[in-house]
Formats: sequence, C-alpha cells, structure tokens
Amino acid sequence: MESAEPSTSDVAALELDALTKTFNETRAADGVSLAVPRGTMLGLVGPNGAGKTTSLSMAVGLLRPDSGAARVLGVDVWTDPVGAKRNLGVLPDGLSLPERLTAGELLDHWGRLRGLERGLTRTRARELLQVLELDRAERDGVLVAEYSTGMRKKIGLATALLHAPEVLVLDEPYEAVDPVSARVLTAILRRFTDGGGTVVISSHVMALVEQLTDRVSIIADGRVLADGTLSEVRGTDATLEDTFVRLVGAREVGEGDLAWLNS
Amino acid sequence: MVELLIRLKFTLGRHTRSGTRWLTVLLLVGGTAFTWFLAVAAASDAVRSSLLMLALAVWAGSWILGPTVTNGVGVLRSQYFTLLPLDRNRVGLGLLVTMFVGFGPVMTLVSAAALAWHAYVSDPATLFLGLLGVLTLVVFSVSLGRLVFRGLGAAMHSRLGMEIASLQWGLIVAGLFFGWVAVQPAFVASGNLTERGFEGTAASVLAVLPTSWPVLAVDAATAGSWSAAFAWLGAFALLTVVTVLVTGRLLAPSVSTRGVGRRSRPLGSRVLEDRRSLLPDTPLGAVVGKELRSWWRDPWRGLELRSALYAGLFIGLLGLVADFPQVMPFAGVFAALIMGMGGSNMYGHDGTALWLTVVGQDRDTIRADVRGRQIAIAVLIAPPATLLSAAAIVASGQYWAVPHVLACLLVFTGVSNGLASLLSVVTVTPGVDPHKRVDANDTGDVQVQVWIMLLAVPLLSSPTLAVLVWGAIQGIPWIAVPVALFNGVPAAWLLGRVAHRRLESRLPETLTRIRYGKEIARRSLSTAGGGLLDRLERGALATNEEIKPTGS
Ligand SMILES: Nc1ncnc2c1ncn2[C@@H]1O[C@H](COP(=O)(O)OP(=O)(O)OP(=O)(O)O)[C@@H](O)[C@H]1O
Ligand SMILES: [Mg+2]
Repeated sequence: MESAEPSTSDVAALELDALTKTFNETRAADGVSLAVPRGTMLGLVGPNGAGKTTSLSMAVGLLRPDSGAARVLGVDVWTDPVGAKRNLGVLPDGLSLPERLTAGELLDHWGRLRGLERGLTRTRARELLQVLELDRAERDGVLVAEYSTGMRKKIGLATALLHAPEVLVLDEPYEAVDPVSARVLTAILRRFTDGGGTVVISSHVMALVEQLTDRVSIIADGRVLADGTLSEVRGTDATLEDTFVRLVGAREVGEGDLAWLNS
Repeated sequence: MVELLIRLKFTLGRHTRSGTRWLTVLLLVGGTAFTWFLAVAAASDAVRSSLLMLALAVWAGSWILGPTVTNGVGVLRSQYFTLLPLDRNRVGLGLLVTMFVGFGPVMTLVSAAALAWHAYVSDPATLFLGLLGVLTLVVFSVSLGRLVFRGLGAAMHSRLGMEIASLQWGLIVAGLFFGWVAVQPAFVASGNLTERGFEGTAASVLAVLPTSWPVLAVDAATAGSWSAAFAWLGAFALLTVVTVLVTGRLLAPSVSTRGVGRRSRPLGSRVLEDRRSLLPDTPLGAVVGKELRSWWRDPWRGLELRSALYAGLFIGLLGLVADFPQVMPFAGVFAALIMGMGGSNMYGHDGTALWLTVVGQDRDTIRADVRGRQIAIAVLIAPPATLLSAAAIVASGQYWAVPHVLACLLVFTGVSNGLASLLSVVTVTPGVDPHKRVDANDTGDVQVQVWIMLLAVPLLSSPTLAVLVWGAIQGIPWIAVPVALFNGVPAAWLLGRVAHRRLESRLPETLTRIRYGKEIARRSLSTAGGGLLDRLERGALATNEEIKPTGS
C-alpha cells in the first residue's frame, strides 16, 4: 500500500468522470460517470456497441478520452499514469499478446517488467497457471498464438492478477470461458473482493451479473442509464433483465414478423 | 458467383492507392510496348524467337513477383469466404477467374499476342498455333503468379516453408537492388539486341523455360516438323492445366487450424531459461528476452531476418556472376541495411499487443521497451552480417576490403538500428493482428519506412562515407573505422532516445493507431505543421496501405 495516498474509504477505487469519446460520427461514450467504492464488484452491462469497451479503455489508460477524467484510488490515470497503473489490473477484450511466448514465459516477462522479484513471479505464475488450468499447455510448450479463445482469456486474466493489484478492470472476462473455468474465475473474483479488492467487469449476461456483483451500471448509446447497488437498480422489477429491457427498450418479435422462419 | 467475386474485386481495387496503381499501369504499358518493339524490330525469325522467349519469361516473372511486391492489396483473399456455404474448390476456381479480370491480364494478353505475330510472319500457316499459345500463356502466367503468392502464404505455417519464402524474398530484394549488375553486362555483350538476339548460355537457359515452349512450337511448325510443334504446345498446355488446378486448390478457403499438437519445446526456451538466465532481472532484460524469442519463433519476423541475410548473400553472388567481384565483400553490409528495413515496423508487427506496454507502464518501462528491441535486432544481425562478409572476403581473397567493410558494417548497423526503432514508433503501420495472420505479407505495409531508410541511412552515415573515400584516396582506409564507430553508435543511441520519448508522449495514441486504424488515428494529429516527427507520422498515415479491417 502507498502510504502517501489518501487511504480513507471515501475515495472511490475507480472513478470515471464524464468520459467522452467520439469515433468519426458516433458518440461511443457520452459523459460516462461512474464511481466504484472499494471492496465492491461492479457489473457494467449494455447492448452490443453500447460503449462498454470504449469507456473501460479510457478508464484504464488505453484510449485517450476527448474529455473527462478517470482516477484509480484517487490518482488520475491521464496526469499520473505511472502512479495509477501500479494499482490496476486490466483484461482488455480481443487484443493480441506477445504471441510467440508460452504462458509461463509471458508471465515471467510481465513480472520482470512490473518490477516483481523473480522468485515471487515464479511462485505466483505457477499457482496461476495451475488454478486456471493452463499448466498442461505450459508443460507441452504451447505458444499463446496456438491458444483457444477461452485460453487466451485465461492467460490475459493471469497477467491482470500477477502483480496483485487493488483494482481489476475486466472486459468480458466470462466470454468463451467453459463452465468449469467460469466457476474458478468466480471464486477468484470473490476471494479478491473479500480481501478488499475492487472489480469492474463488463458482460451481456444478466443472470451472471445479478448473482455475482454488488453494483450494476446499465449503459446504452454511450450513456449511463442506471447506476447503483443491485437492488437500487432493479427497484420493483423482478429480475435485472426486466430492468435492462425496460431501460434499453425491447424489440419485441410480433406474430407476423419473420413468418418465413416457419415455412 | 464469379460475377459477384469480380465486382467485389473492383470494389477493393478502388481503395488501393492511386500512386501504386499508376506506377503499375506505367510499367504494364511500357512493358507491352517494349515487347512489341522487340517483336517488330527483330532482324530475323531466329532473333525474334529468342527475344520473345526473353520477353515472355519476364512477363511470367512479373506475375510471380507482382502481387508479393505490391503487398497483395486489392486481392480477394480466400479467408474472406471461409464461412460461406459454398463448395470450397469452386470458390477457389472462382477466385482464380477473378485474377484474369483487370488491366494486368489484358496487357499480358496484348504482349503475348506478339507470339501470334511471330507465327504469322514466320509462316502464316502456323498462326492458329500461335493464337493457341497466346491464350495458354496468359492463363499460365496469371495462375503461376497466384500459385506463388498463395504458396508464400501457405508456407508461413512451417519452418521449412518460411525458409523457402525467405529465399524467395531474398532473391526479390537482391534483384531489386542489384539486378542491373547482372543484366547490364548481358546487354552490353549481346550488342545490338534486335540485330543479333541472344547467344550462348543465356539462350540455352531461356529455351528450357516453360514460357518458351509455345515459341518453340511455332518455330518447329515453321520448320515443317508439326509433330514436334504439337508436342511443345501440348506439354505447355498440360503444365498450364496442372498449374490452374493446383492454384484452384490452394485458393480454396482453408479451414484447418494452426499448430495442432506440438512435440518439442519452442525455440529458445532453453537458451534463456530462468535459472541460468543471461539476462538481468530488469524491464530491459525482460524486453530483450521477449524480443529474441519472438524473432526466433515468429515466422513473420523470421522472414524479415532470413530474407535480409539471403538478400545480402545473393547480392554478393550476383556481383560474382556479373564479373563485378568488388561487391562480394559487402554482402554482410547489405544484409545489415536490409535488416534495418525489416525492423522498421516492429510495433506494427506486434499489433495490439502494445496494450501490455501501456498497462504495465512504469518509470523505466517505455525506455526499456525501445532499447530492448534495439539490442535484440543488433544482436541478431551484427554477427551473421559480419560472418557473411568475412566468409566472402576469405573466399574471394579480397583482403583490401576489410577496413571498408568494417567501417560500413559499424556505421550502417548503428544508423539503421536507430532509424528502425524511430520509424517503428512514428510510422507504425499495423497489418493483420498477429493471432489472425495467414499470408506472408500480413504484417503492415512499410513503403514509407523503406523510402526513408534508403534516403536517411546514407545521409546519416555521410561523415563516415566521406572519410572512407578520403582515406581510400590517401591510402589510409583504416581511418574510417574509428569514425564509423563514433558515427554509428551515437546515431543508434540518439535516434533510440527520440523514439522512446516519442512513444512515451504518444503511448495511447500509438495503440489507437494500431487498434482502431488510420481514420481515427488521424484525429490525434493536427492537419498541418508540427515537428518533423508529426510530419513523418502524417506521411505514413497518408501513404502506407491499410491491410487490417478496422474495428475494436
Ligand atoms: N474502430 C472504430 N471505428 C468507428 N467506430 C467504432 C470503432 N470501434 C468502436 N466503434 C464504435 O464505438 C461504439 C462503442 O463500441 P464499444 O466497442 O465500446 O461497444 P461495447 O459496448 O464494448 O460492445 P460489445 O458488447 O459488442 O463489446 C460503437 O457504436 C462502435 O460502432
Ligand atoms: Mg466490448
């Protein structure tokens, strides 16, 4: 822990402050503001193209916003990137990795880059590979380039966890991950928040978000439509999915539509 | 389906840069005019026959090199169609048909028609034979070009294939740089080409090439031996059919996955193994280790490295063949120069993997990232280049060249290393993202980088080169070696420093360039003015082709 930083619990672990980004003509994020208290897990949900990836990228320093700010434990990501990134673990969606390394080599490289002591990197890497069930591939010398989509997610997650950050930002961590590994992932995230860590995940799967997270934000067309604890957001609705559909707007399939499907 | 594919091809063609296209048009028209000039101006039937063989071989050669050199932009790739419920082999043949649409094939047809002219002038009765030959020639040349292009792509799945592709590239590059050395004496020796045509070895080599067979068929028929004529043409037709079928198969979308099952540890896992690691436990050590492994294991990077070495080797051999042996000792120097170009888009090579550098940013990591890459390419190129030159000097006994070669190696390795790191940052051009690569040129386009290298390396090495010339005249060539050291090393250091400072100040912008493509990257730069680096970046954005489909 950094003693110089304000460690009072009223500083949000992650704060997005009116982040805005326009791609060509589309407003991918339009004043996105969120505050994630410490020790909680936030689920960011929204339809395809809502701006989840864009907002999270701006929050962690991967994409410079047109305007707005982002803070990790009170440290501004864009004015003090080094300070903010030390406490941050990130899993982006669909990006490449150093493809010609094995998972073990990648984690070794990552540990050195992050200034971890070698022995520590070694033990953590071994444990992570084992828990995430990548140890067999590692023994066979499989390169990341040869990994399946789910395996890529898992090694990405391992890089996010290796330096034991305080805040985790994961873009669609459950996508393409098999049910057994999904349970492992859930257990990891639970343990992480129990230890005082903070997690932000994005997802399309309402049921998952509902059973996993304490807080939810619904985002569509680059704007935050609802934000708060699970029960606050849900209000009188029976499920989160109902709230989502109510806010985002349902596209009902009427009797006459797509009739040709039955022919 | 074929019509649809053709329309798609034209749509893609429209997005190709007009500069490249005009150059292509110019070359095609010029080549066609020259072919006809040779055919019409030839003094006799025999001379016309030998000149036609040369022209047709050059046309087929251009088809082999063309798509690779122009980066395959505007080419319909079979992967675009993997998911369509169409018969794979029919898509393959359909794609092949699209290759015959366009200006290139038309001009090839017009040029090949010179064969019909040859037949008509020699003996009007052989005209139909000539016409058949013309059509077969066009089909053969175009399909052969596709075969080689796809062959290169398919090759990237195996080490042997990569080696072959590197050889091919090495030849291409050597030819581009020093082809004239070999061609010029041939022309000089043969005197007036249209008067006497080719004689000696060149003629007998030419006669063996398949593209010469239709010419031989016409000649045989003129001489009255019709059975020989049909044999030549039949053999050529058969070869063409085989080429078309193989190409059609190769063009069929492939659905196989990469790297199924692995038996041995990947290359370099032992050498750098943790316990006895040679590398320090720092960010710099981390980057050097990662880079060396990537250069050893990644076929696309291997291609850059190997083809540089082969190109150096071939340039040396070309010098030998062309009776210009003074070139030989400099084989390693050329290898070092070309390797600099191969390293001029390292961040483009890595694609969106740059996110790790962004997320893991710490006080010293950006500097380490650039310096580590510089160290890795220096370690990879300096020893083999030196070895290549040393071997060439010993083999040819040209020990006079030692100080010259040493000075050139030192200064060019340093300058091009520094420039490579700077261009990698400033003019970064993404290709297909690494885990989706298939073809040999799926890494980013590097036109701008290559041109800048060609101009800037001699410029920044000019102190050494000047002293080298002066020293040679004064009879003290060794004086250039220390000068080269004080020229090359600071150049590498300074340019690398500019590179990591630039990367540090534009880290997310660089990732955006790779991740979201040039349209969105352009918005992070002012439209005019700015420093030299901004201008460079804008130049690359405006010139280098975008191979990658944009999207997040
Ligand atoms: N390279 C690009 N060029 C132009 N617009 C883009 C680009 N990448 C994303 N966008 C736009 O930005 C908006 C937000 O995209 P984003 O990737 O943030 O959505 P998302 O919520 O992560 O969607 P998904 O659930 O599909 O991952 C979309 O409207 C998209 O069209
Ligand atoms: Mg997304």
